[in-house]
Amino acid sequence: MKWKWLVLPMSLMLLLALTTTASAHGAKIEYTISMAVEIVATYDTGSPMTGGQVTVYAPDDPATPWLEGVCDEEGRFVFTPDPTKPGTWDVQVRQAGHGDMIHIPIGEDVATTGGGGYSTFQIVLMSTCVIWGFVGTALFFSRNRREYAHS
Amino acid sequence: MHIPDGILPITISAAGYATSGAATWYSLRKIGQKENAQASVPKASLLTAAFFVASWIHIPVPPTSVHLVLNGLLGAVLGYYAFPAILIGLFFQAVMFQHGGLTTLGVNATMMGVPALLAFFIFRLRRVVGKESRWAVGLFGFLAGAAGLGIAALIAWGLLINTIPAHLDVEAERASIYALTLAHMPLIVLEGIFTALVALFLHRVKPEILED
Repeated sequence: MKWKWLVLPMSLMLLLALTTTASAHGAKIEYTISMAVEIVATYDTGSPMTGGQVTVYAPDDPATPWLEGVCDEEGRFVFTPDPTKPGTWDVQVRQAGHGDMIHIPIGEDVATTGGGGYSTFQIVLMSTCVIWGFVGTALFFSRNRREYAHS
Repeated sequence: MHIPDGILPITISAAGYATSGAATWYSLRKIGQKENAQASVPKASLLTAAFFVASWIHIPVPPTSVHLVLNGLLGAVLGYYAFPAILIGLFFQAVMFQHGGLTTLGVNATMMGVPALLAFFIFRLRRVVGKESRWAVGLFGFLAGAAGLGIAALIAWGLLINTIPAHLDVEAERASIYALTLAHMPLIVLEGIFTALVALFLHRVKPEILED
């Protein structure tokens, strides 16, 4: 009955094998899909706001910063908003007293891209209108002056 | 130079509206005392247009870039019309291009308009030397243009450095404010030269424009 002597080492090995299995292969992966928001901050010259300080405000408390960070070399900053707080998230980027704030809707009505600012064409058109307003004002008042001079 | 919305505390914005209101009242009162107040409106209107587009002219000063302001020039050439002109120019810049902001309109108008009035007083000092002297027109034109922007940059620096929100990285923000203020130094000289050239040109072709 020599095999009886094998029971103890066999049991030990089995126990060891089981515990090893439990610790080395006990992996578990869960997933939740979350949405990250990437912002790109540039000056109106087109150069990135490198090192611009970012402050993120959650919709439930627009007075207290929810997250703070710094833009990278390309003026980029990525954050993941809390999905339990739907609404308008405010993100401010500031550097040397300059900067802007963007309002990002998160929740049911999500716009995948967005931003402020106008195209070059819009800017040129608006500038032309305003300048024409000033020139027109100048012409109007200089006409009055000529009339005064003649009378 | 244009401080946008959401940077300054509300008390500073309110104080800016108060000071710009007082400066507008003072300027309009002085304009009203003139014999023919309308006579200078075309000149003021055209220079408001120049001020309006000047902020799109960027000058690279590594590592950043600055834009023309021309508040000293407006002060020297327009006199008491300079403050209302700057206020109107800033309003259109804020509404059209979000350059500056409506809550900070008063602060920005004070920051650029009051130094413009000071530039006017500096330019008037040329009378001490002699009104017809070309070099006096050039010298005081330079001083007016440089002082107008220089004082505005100092006001901007003072406002920004004292109102950095505590939640930011204060040291980094302070360093970038210093860098931006220093970047205005070449522009101060440039606007001084530009104002001197415009003043000399007007002095030669149409001296009555500089009568104020």
